[in-house]
Amino acid sequence: MHPILADARKLFWYVLAWLLAGVGIAALLRLTEQAEWTGALWFALPLCLVWAFVALSSYYVCRSLPWSQRRWPVALGLFGGASLLSALAWLGLGEAWDSLARLVLHDRPLVSMNSPGWVMYFAAGFLLYLLSLLAHDVLVAFESVQASARREAESRVLARDAELQMLRTQINPHFLFNSLNSISALTGFDPAAAREMTVDLAQFFRRTLALAERERITLGEEVVLCEHFLAIEKRRFGAKLNVELRIAADASGCLLPPMTLQPLLENAIKHGIRQLDGGGTIAVDALVRDGWLHVAVVNPVVRGEVPASGHGVGLKNIRERLAVLYGARARIAWQRSETQFAIEINLPVDKEAAA
Amino acid sequence: MSANPPLRALVVDDEELARHLIREYLQGHADIEIVGECENGLDAVRQIVALAPDLVFLDIQMPRLTGLEVLELTGRRAGVIFTTAYDEHAIKAFELHAVDYLLKPFSKTRFDAALARARTLHVPAQGTPENSPQPALDALVARRTAPLERILIRDREQVHVIPVEQVECIEAQGDYLAIHVDGKCHLKPQRISEIEEQLDATRFLRVHRSFIISLAHLQAIERPGPDRHAARLRSGKRVPISRSGYEKLRTLV
Repeated sequence: MHPILADARKLFWYVLAWLLAGVGIAALLRLTEQAEWTGALWFALPLCLVWAFVALSSYYVCRSLPWSQRRWPVALGLFGGASLLSALAWLGLGEAWDSLARLVLHDRPLVSMNSPGWVMYFAAGFLLYLLSLLAHDVLVAFESVQASARREAESRVLARDAELQMLRTQINPHFLFNSLNSISALTGFDPAAAREMTVDLAQFFRRTLALAERERITLGEEVVLCEHFLAIEKRRFGAKLNVELRIAADASGCLLPPMTLQPLLENAIKHGIRQLDGGGTIAVDALVRDGWLHVAVVNPVVRGEVPASGHGVGLKNIRERLAVLYGARARIAWQRSETQFAIEINLPVDKEAAA
Repeated sequence: MSANPPLRALVVDDEELARHLIREYLQGHADIEIVGECENGLDAVRQIVALAPDLVFLDIQMPRLTGLEVLELTGRRAGVIFTTAYDEHAIKAFELHAVDYLLKPFSKTRFDAALARARTLHVPAQGTPENSPQPALDALVARRTAPLERILIRDREQVHVIPVEQVECIEAQGDYLAIHVDGKCHLKPQRISEIEEQLDATRFLRVHRSFIISLAHLQAIERPGPDRHAARLRSGKRVPISRSGYEKLRTLV
């Protein structure tokens, strides 16, 4: 809807401005002695009132030709043509109103305009519409600036949400406290292992904190982080947890958002390996093919078990993060069969420029 | 004191290191004997039933069944010491009901204090029944934050986990609930009003004093007589509908 029609206060001031224009036209008619004041006002004000609403159409004319796609000859032609057409209509309306007045009032016409008078009247119509076009143009430009500022603010909020979400997943309290408990247990009988686990835990958190600040990291960096994470989880779950990491050499240098692979491994352990009495093997494959980076994680799951609620939340978060960063160019898909869960992420290959 | 037989303890945790730590902490207590260890909730249910230990160290977050589900299934209340790394909901509930729990990692001192408290509560000589009602724990076990997603049924040492989507209807039979699933019927000791509260009200409806039906399994409403209604389920089973049940059903369907 037209922004002026949508707002009663704006509409009031707008109509008032047109009525003032009407007074102006009446004054011009009076000055050129083509009418008395009463007749001139009776002639001009109703016309301007009607024309106020006709001139609103210029909003759509302006919108049809946004600033960014504007070439001057086209714009001039369009604005001039629109003004000319509307001035013709304005002329017709004026003559019709005049004739009607003559018909009703017989010998006392509102105005008695000569040819130059009608030319002046026509020019006024042309100028008024052109003015309206220009004013609307400013309005449309202003609106689009506001809209783009709003969009920018929205995307900033989204980005911050993603960042917060990431921090929250990094500092998974369950993982942290259980790891500390394992270290506490190890100190009693295997101090060397306790020390190693402490170092892995510290490395894992240090790296996640450092990487979280960056928009993209290489897969290689993510894998190092995952290796610290897996070293900790292997201590917790012992022989139950096996991982096969197959990262192709050309895939290591590819860029991806930080903490893309790690949550997949965390899910694979939480919903897969941990639930299985005998544990199992998580297979991670990363390779580059036809300009795309493919990262796949496959893990066994308990046969026929109902997936615990909340399973999809983590995956949805990753999907949203990828959508914010890559738009439609990133693909993430997962499927669960009777005995295994497989997830694959495809990203366009993007290598570090300096590498 | 020394005349008492040792307390028999069961350690339940899916992480070997966590169990190891409890074993180590228990070494200094000659009056406690570890009779078993479990890696998951199902195993814990079996062992609690089979061994009837005096003391259970119970992790909350475990594969298969959570610690609270283990208590629900076994009816076990006395002599439970919860251990958890981080579970906001459980911890809030523990605080609310004044139930003792150990937060991982815990110190030897804190562990000993929990043990001392458990010892004073355990009075076998007085003949306190094992499963004497404990309102705090009962409330904790019955308490659900989200609508029930699966119904747990224990048949001696066997545990059935039934997703609620599969449940056709639930019928009250004395002190038991008969849960109808795929032409089979499982019995569970619970009140119908209690499970009615736990189930998702948009998917299940109490249509009669002794019947809850799954709306997903409802096929038709029949009228066997004037002012009498019955629900026909997908399986062909018919369930009576009371007058107030019919009113509720009419507003929903």
